Amino acid sequence: MTELLPLLREPGREPAGEATGATAVVPVPLTGRERARRVARFYANRPGLVVSVLYVLLVLCAAVVPSVLAGGDPLTGVSADRLRPPSATHVFGTDYLGRDLYTRVVHGASLSLRATVLAVAVGLLVGGLIGLLAGFIGRWVDEGLMRFVDTLLAIPPILLSLSLITALGYGTTKVAIAVGVASVASFARVMRAETMRVRRATYVEAARSVGTRWYTTLRRHVLPNAAGPVLVLAVLEFGLAILQVSALSFLGYGAPPPAPEWGALIAEGRNYLANSWWLCAMPGFAIAATVLAVNRISRALDGEWARFR
Amino acid sequence: MFSVQSTRRAPLAVLAGLVLAASLALSGCGSGGAAGGSGPDTAAPAGPPRPGGTLRFAVSSDQGCLDPQQVTSNDTIYAARQLVDSLTDQDPATGRITPWLATTWQSNADATAYTFTLRTGVTFSDGSPLTAAVVRDNFDKVAQLGARALLAKGYLAGYAGATVTSPTQLTVHFSTPNVQFLQGTSTFTLGLLAPASLARSDDERCQGVIGSGPFVLGGYVKNQSITLTKRAGYHWGSPLWAHDGEAYLDGVEFRVVPESGVRTGSLQSGEVDAIGSIGQQDEQPLSSAGIQLLARANPGLPFGISFNEAKPIVSDPAVRKALSLAINRPEVVSAVFTSQTKPATGVLSSTTPDYANAAPLLTFDLDQAKATLDADGWAPGPDGIRAKNGQRLSFGVTFFANAATNQPALELIQQQVRAAGIELRIVQQPIANLAQVQVSGDFDALWGNTTRADPDILRTAYWTGGANYYRLTPGPLDQSLTAQAAATDPAERARLVAAAQQRMLAEYDAVPVVELSTVLGAGPGARGIRFDASSRVTLSDAWKADD
Amino acid sequence: MGTYLVRRFGLAVGVLWAAFTVSFVVLWLLPGDPVEVMASGGLDGEPATPQQLAALRARYGLDKPPWQQYTDRLWAALHGDLGTSIQSGRGVRTEIAAALPPTAQIALAGLVFAVVFGAGLALLATYTRLPWLRQLLLALPSLAVSLPTFWVGLMLVQLFSFHLRLLPSVGARGPESVILPAVTLGLPAGALVAQVLAKSLSQALDEPYIVTARAKGVGRAAIHLRHALRNATIPALTVLGYLVGNLLAGAVVVETVFNRPGLGRLTVAAVSVQDIPVVQGVVVFAATVFVLANLLVDLLYPLLDPRIAAGATA
Repeated sequence: MTELLPLLREPGREPAGEATGATAVVPVPLTGRERARRVARFYANRPGLVVSVLYVLLVLCAAVVPSVLAGGDPLTGVSADRLRPPSATHVFGTDYLGRDLYTRVVHGASLSLRATVLAVAVGLLVGGLIGLLAGFIGRWVDEGLMRFVDTLLAIPPILLSLSLITALGYGTTKVAIAVGVASVASFARVMRAETMRVRRATYVEAARSVGTRWYTTLRRHVLPNAAGPVLVLAVLEFGLAILQVSALSFLGYGAPPPAPEWGALIAEGRNYLANSWWLCAMPGFAIAATVLAVNRISRALDGEWARFR
Repeated sequence: MFSVQSTRRAPLAVLAGLVLAASLALSGCGSGGAAGGSGPDTAAPAGPPRPGGTLRFAVSSDQGCLDPQQVTSNDTIYAARQLVDSLTDQDPATGRITPWLATTWQSNADATAYTFTLRTGVTFSDGSPLTAAVVRDNFDKVAQLGARALLAKGYLAGYAGATVTSPTQLTVHFSTPNVQFLQGTSTFTLGLLAPASLARSDDERCQGVIGSGPFVLGGYVKNQSITLTKRAGYHWGSPLWAHDGEAYLDGVEFRVVPESGVRTGSLQSGEVDAIGSIGQQDEQPLSSAGIQLLARANPGLPFGISFNEAKPIVSDPAVRKALSLAINRPEVVSAVFTSQTKPATGVLSSTTPDYANAAPLLTFDLDQAKATLDADGWAPGPDGIRAKNGQRLSFGVTFFANAATNQPALELIQQQVRAAGIELRIVQQPIANLAQVQVSGDFDALWGNTTRADPDILRTAYWTGGANYYRLTPGPLDQSLTAQAAATDPAERARLVAAAQQRMLAEYDAVPVVELSTVLGAGPGARGIRFDASSRVTLSDAWKADD
Repeated sequence: MGTYLVRRFGLAVGVLWAAFTVSFVVLWLLPGDPVEVMASGGLDGEPATPQQLAALRARYGLDKPPWQQYTDRLWAALHGDLGTSIQSGRGVRTEIAAALPPTAQIALAGLVFAVVFGAGLALLATYTRLPWLRQLLLALPSLAVSLPTFWVGLMLVQLFSFHLRLLPSVGARGPESVILPAVTLGLPAGALVAQVLAKSLSQALDEPYIVTARAKGVGRAAIHLRHALRNATIPALTVLGYLVGNLLAGAVVVETVFNRPGLGRLTVAAVSVQDIPVVQGVVVFAATVFVLANLLVDLLYPLLDPRIAAGATA
């Protein structure tokens, strides 16, 4: 798992090329020990990245098995212990019903991150497919699909999401879909650029000229080579999607109370803003830290390792 | 919440009525005083009232309608009340009906006709005079108003027209006895509008009305602010006020600030002079910051859960009973509401006339709740939520975001009843959707209260011959409810009201939880803010100590 | 030059038409009967009879086949008619026009803040010789874009209104009430400006002509401001069109946090009561603003950099 970043730039896979500005690297076979040393040095020079990776792992753990990090019940509180400021027993303090805020934030991670993953998946699949078709088929299909994508780019994402929510209704899943659709355009663009680049590459031309079927070319050459930059984008979009999902949840379009979605936690805290600052501040720190960490990792994925080597 | 103006019982013989009203109100006021610990006035008057200045008053919501005859939400009533005057007023201390625009009145023996004599020299803010014909037109118009004007229609139940006998005298007729009408005339709901406003459509009137009140509408930006300016030359204030002349304030600005935390912060930082709907968490910090907390208990229906009895699950009385037993009312009160608040002990608030104490029926008994559900065939499922015939014991409770206490209270109740295996889902709606939700019936249950100082509120809410928002099936409850409305003998009426309350609790048609106390915060500069008989503010006597 | 203009303009119109189409498809053809939604949202709260529903259907043209609804509405939109709000009964164009000024206030102030904050940050980061300061300054934009906007707004209120008591917390009264919303709105936009400008500034500083100027003995500050900045501005201008659209969209959250009237609040209110014509109107309006801003940038380009015009006509 610690090798997650370098693995994405596995030798044999072409780096992102002009899309990311990374220089092409001729793969050099490395011994295992050399590799390990390199990886260690890579991280040693980047403490921020290490912290980010560790933090994201922690958040992922919270999303999958929240009770490992916070054993209590996020929905049940002791009303006598309400609105306690952060302390040793309640690291993030308690809310207006005496529920432990830390427990709620940890359990909220699973709701919020599940929505985020779904959003990115929607964007990745739909956008990826559009980009792939446009780039691979070209001609009028490309023209038509890209005009559509331009249109999506002309509508600010949050307004596009709000239109979908108007039509679909409220709920975590619907919010996730709305955010995902709003990110389709970026995925489509990157996927198209990558597909076209790969399609024009010599080895693909060669494969075609020897009569390889189009779908084989697609599966064996285009997809694996175009996937890298799109996955980098997926990580970047993940950070954006967390912000979008929490904004919509803050506006009240997510799960109904008392679900501890991150955005909803901050919205609840507004009623206590004057005298219980932690109710707004703590969930906000959790969101900001997650986005910051994800963005840091996406930058590292985006050619940092390749340049380092 | 959806509140109704108070109705003190109408005297059939004026004197007898007054004595009764006074005695009832004394008990009501006693509880209110004990609960609030504070009179209707702001404390410590500092010198004589000083004219001038604008009072900035932050409230939590805007119902989207400024017509007093259509508005039902307290936050918006605060502003709408100042625009209009009423035929009568009600003394918040004694509950007595007192003269205002009507100098005298009489009713016949069976409460089917009321004759009012109007004060002279009263004009609306557009210059048109108040005459008996205008009063008649106001009442005539109420019948034509849409569903939003439910309260006004309730006050005029059985209205059979009015006859104008002179420019200053008219008689209002009812086809059936209407004992609550006189108190109705003291309410903002039957506040009198100028002919120019009567000529407009419901929606147009919601944008603003012309009245004869101490303030006129300066500006209204939906969900933002309502600006009132002083009515120059006003001199027909209610005798219950400290003075009957022009308001001391040059203007009032109601600002809509939905988050109670922001309201509190704004009051503490001096950005506003007064705020409504104070949450428990802010009581202590506000008092220690030198803010006066003005409190008064609201009569009427307590905050609680009422059911759409046409929906499955909640139509089962056993479920409603178990829900009631599973709610720990004292915990809800102590965790969420201000210190003046009391748990509900009946279908009516304890300060309502003819209130019947049913505290033993409204206790917290988890074991009995479980036993009730067991006996009804609801068996606990794997996640603790019960089910019967494959149906989950789960229903939605809709609330409206017009008080900061609503969501925490429901979340706590949700937590409490889960222990009995009931899944309560919380559904939030904007207050502007209130009428729509009630009419469409698109809810399992509603959380809310209704302020009114007359037991007739039971008929407004639960009579199947009325709007019947709760989709009750016609039954014996209807008879008690209609009979009390026509009962001219107070003792007989009390008996009928008691029977209705008893019947409602036998079926758990309502699950009352907590009695509302209105708590306002007034900064050091805000003086003379008074509560009227239904715990809404009167601002004619208000003034600012420093500007 | 002429061809360039015609082409840009044609593209802009095409995008607008497509934006209208996309929002039409999303809002009018997705599940749910818009008429029932409308009926429950209006009509004074009275229950709608089947006759009323039919009348409403006819009024909104919903009894017609979808393609005809589409052409009718498109035709109306071409004439500036965006339909009627279900909630208020007023024209959508009127609603948007009424909500625009307060939003324009904070969006413009936010843009000014974004440019000043972003350019200042970028200039300082590329000018300083202290590596740690440069690192710190360059890290600020990525921090700023990672913060949830609504949270930033609440924290600013807590600090500047409640603790320091310097600025009003919420509402729209007087010029000082614009400051906190504008800063909240402009922060992520400023971060973007800073990132783009810092990158193009450091590129410009490596250009041969800068080296020449330096050799001639021109001062550091002069090189920075007079030579490098001018050339670095052009790439930064590209994000401007994007920023305007995003400032408008950011108003949705910022106006909710600061309880200000405007387009954002109009949109949120419309979404909560499913006022479809208003939502569609706002979407089309935002797309129009976005397209116009980009068109403006496209038109400014050739003026600033003659090479582009030459390339386009070639």
